[in-house]
Amino acid sequence: MTDTPLRLLLDFDAFSQRDHHQPPAFLHRRDRKFALTCEQQGRTPNARLWLEHMARLSGPGADRSAGDKAIRLWRRINTGFVLVGGLLGILTMLGLLFYDGGQRINITAFLAFVMLQLLLALFTTVQSIAGWQPWRWLTKRLNRGSTSDTVHRLQPALMARASHLGGLSFATTGLLTLLVMVVVQDLAFGWSTTLNTAADRYHQLILWVSVPWHWVWPAAVPDLALVEATRFFRAGGQSNAVNPEQWGQWWPFVVALWGVWVLLPRLALSLFSALVIRGKARQLLNNHPAMHALMYRMETPTIDTGNEHNDAGDMPDTSTPTGLSPLPASNLILAWAGADKPELPQGLMGPDTQVFGAGGRATLAEDHRAIGHIAEALAGQPGGAVLVVTRSWEPPTGELQDFLETALETWPPHVVVHLVPLSPDPNQPPDDRQLRQWLRFAHRTGGDGIGVSILPGTPQDPYVIREQVL
Amino acid sequence: MTQPPVFAVVGHPNKGKSSVVATLSQNDAIAIALEPGTTRQRQSYPMTVDGRTLYVLVDTPGFQRPRRVLEWLEAHSVSASDRAETVKAFVTQHQGDGRFTDECELLTPLIEGAGIIYVVDGSVPYSAEHEAEMTILRWTGRPSLALINSIGSEDYSETWQSALGQFFQVVRKFDAVRAPFEQHLSLLRAFGQLEPDWEQPLEEATGFLSEHRRKNQSQAATLIARALEDMMAYREKRTLTSAQASGISDEQLAEQLRDRWYRHQRQREQTLRTDIEHLYHHQRIQRQEAELSWHNEHDLFSEDSRSTWAVSRRYLTTAGFGAGAVSGASIDAITLGHSLGAGALVGGLIGAAGSYFYGDRLMLPALNIGVLKDGFKTATFGPVQDSQFGYVILGRAVDHWWHISHRNHAGRDFLDLEPADHHWLESLDKPARQAIQLAFDKCRKEQSMDERQRHKFIAAIEQSMITYDDWRLNRA
Repeated sequence: MTDTPLRLLLDFDAFSQRDHHQPPAFLHRRDRKFALTCEQQGRTPNARLWLEHMARLSGPGADRSAGDKAIRLWRRINTGFVLVGGLLGILTMLGLLFYDGGQRINITAFLAFVMLQLLLALFTTVQSIAGWQPWRWLTKRLNRGSTSDTVHRLQPALMARASHLGGLSFATTGLLTLLVMVVVQDLAFGWSTTLNTAADRYHQLILWVSVPWHWVWPAAVPDLALVEATRFFRAGGQSNAVNPEQWGQWWPFVVALWGVWVLLPRLALSLFSALVIRGKARQLLNNHPAMHALMYRMETPTIDTGNEHNDAGDMPDTSTPTGLSPLPASNLILAWAGADKPELPQGLMGPDTQVFGAGGRATLAEDHRAIGHIAEALAGQPGGAVLVVTRSWEPPTGELQDFLETALETWPPHVVVHLVPLSPDPNQPPDDRQLRQWLRFAHRTGGDGIGVSILPGTPQDPYVIREQVL
Repeated sequence: MTQPPVFAVVGHPNKGKSSVVATLSQNDAIAIALEPGTTRQRQSYPMTVDGRTLYVLVDTPGFQRPRRVLEWLEAHSVSASDRAETVKAFVTQHQGDGRFTDECELLTPLIEGAGIIYVVDGSVPYSAEHEAEMTILRWTGRPSLALINSIGSEDYSETWQSALGQFFQVVRKFDAVRAPFEQHLSLLRAFGQLEPDWEQPLEEATGFLSEHRRKNQSQAATLIARALEDMMAYREKRTLTSAQASGISDEQLAEQLRDRWYRHQRQREQTLRTDIEHLYHHQRIQRQEAELSWHNEHDLFSEDSRSTWAVSRRYLTTAGFGAGAVSGASIDAITLGHSLGAGALVGGLIGAAGSYFYGDRLMLPALNIGVLKDGFKTATFGPVQDSQFGYVILGRAVDHWWHISHRNHAGRDFLDLEPADHHWLESLDKPARQAIQLAFDKCRKEQSMDERQRHKFIAAIEQSMITYDDWRLNRA
């Protein structure tokens, strides 16, 4: 489908416009995979292969070519120029060859017109190479809706080709009209100028103009005698000295003049403009921002660091339905997981306080023994309370939960259990966030049967203060 | 094909396992909360290059009942040689047992051959409570590495280091939220040291990650350059019919245009922010940043933005000279050097004078309200004529890029983009300054840049990113 650099560029441009809406990660994976496939097949990935690959994957029924629209538009513009050029060629030649039998057809005017055509052709080429766009208003109108920068940059070259094709058509129909007129009419050519030019000087000019064909078609190079004989002056009236046949002997020169200086340059410049378009299309493709991005995607390995999994919305419930309770008076302390190391705060210790240990380095059997000892101590204390001292920064685990559940089953039903999380600095209350996790744990494990307290006298004891106020 | 190395990140609950995984897998969508039990199931995070897995990180729940597990293991083991098998038997026997869900989840990858990455919190005192779980991990017989992560501000890492040294082959400190990228790579290399077969894939992975980061920086520069080009060249246009024109004064029209122009510029800037964040795989950042604002019709920005991000008049003059000289040099080229460099000199002087007189005033001669013609009135606002606008956008963009590129994916705090307190751009080299000024001038004049100029512009932006990084480093 991408048989010319222009079509390749337009297809690529159209495809890259569509890619704008794709997520970058997808594009990277897609193109890198294509590059790796090419590598396996021993091929060097390029835009043509890439587009073919994309078209193949889209399967039959997909757009035959994404650049078709632009190509069709320019084909229409070219056809328009060819038709208008052809028509103008006929009219212009008829105008140039207008001969009513009274006057001669002036070769000098012919030469000037050919020179003008040549200059126009050259100007068109120069303008396209320089990038001027005197036709922009026309292309803008025809190209409504398309805002591609690539097409915009290619317009001077495309417009030059349209113009040259129009010129070529102009020259061709002009030449055909000339030949028809030569056949069906008697044309009388002569030369005339206001300047004081001698026939030999004029002949020199004619020889110079005829250089390209003088060795191919010598009959199309007028000799000095014909030049001398066919000068005319409009004020001089009809000259009978010249054989009427001689007036017509200029026609091979006129045909060659038109063919070589109008038709051939247009033909050559049309071909040249096609080359310019190819070159420019290649250059634009190579410098296309999307091409750089594509090459980058093809050359760069796709790295997936495992960042697609998303469970950020699956957060635990961190609402805390209960608050801190005042610390009950108790002489039974259970230090969980070494919370009594190096020592328990003085505020907790009384003269008859008993401290038991469980969790941490203790074995499960030692945990059970501690539960049993506390149960024995509670037996003589109706309405007793047990303080379970923990390290606030070590989060409560299943082991503590197991321990408390077993203890609550073992201890008398009226016993109040209070968790007392300590902070690393005994003079400071535990961090608020840490306290909240203990409150949630107590609520989960024992419902109302387990409270959470902090040491009395520590500054910032907001929960206790709140309860006292209430 | 050999299996890629797998690393199970394990530990006590709430010690930052998920943070470590989030940072190393560059995933900011992993649930992280200061709540034990946030991770309920193990989750694999494979690192793949072109579909080939180089290593896998597995995030796991924390130990809940390690002493009970250890008691079971000890009761079922006869000698040291059967310990790994006994751990496997424990998992087989307790699959589906609600009490040991977390233990089964975290031990499964280990019995399947994963390496151990044991995470502790170095900001809290060492606790013997961890010894049971460390013993279980030792029983698995897998290669192991301990990571001392720091969640809080205190530092107890010394005690942890000596305790962990008795259980693990390697002990490393790693702050999941603050560790710079080089430390991520160094940690991954350390993972590779745990077993000879793992060294090569981890070495390869760090190479890819390093290269990927370098390319990300270039990509970020391209994104910033594109946004700057868009914003500097943007023009807000409104065409009114005669009836509409009669119903609105020029002042109101100007006000409307300015409003719309600012709204567009803010949106474009936000798009750039999101693009940069997505480039670095940050999908969920909550940002706090002063938005583009102005005080009165002559000022593009608030006084703060100007003093923070705009460059000095001297800077503008030198950059303007350079940019003018580049334009003037084309005259020398046309005359095939016969102008003896006068083009460059004159161009440079014009550029410098323009920058000197127009710079630092934050003027906005960008408003153009046409007269009523053919029943229509056209009013435009922009492109902005003041290159300081570009420097403010550039400063803000580079600052944001820096924060994003240095932000670990474990970070969940607000990204607070506080303005910098120094004209860091002053340390940018001359060619880069000139390339930036030239690009701004081109946009101002509504001229498009060719590929070579655009390439230089992007390179200059990248250079300014490096300069900013250096400045931040030295400031710290």
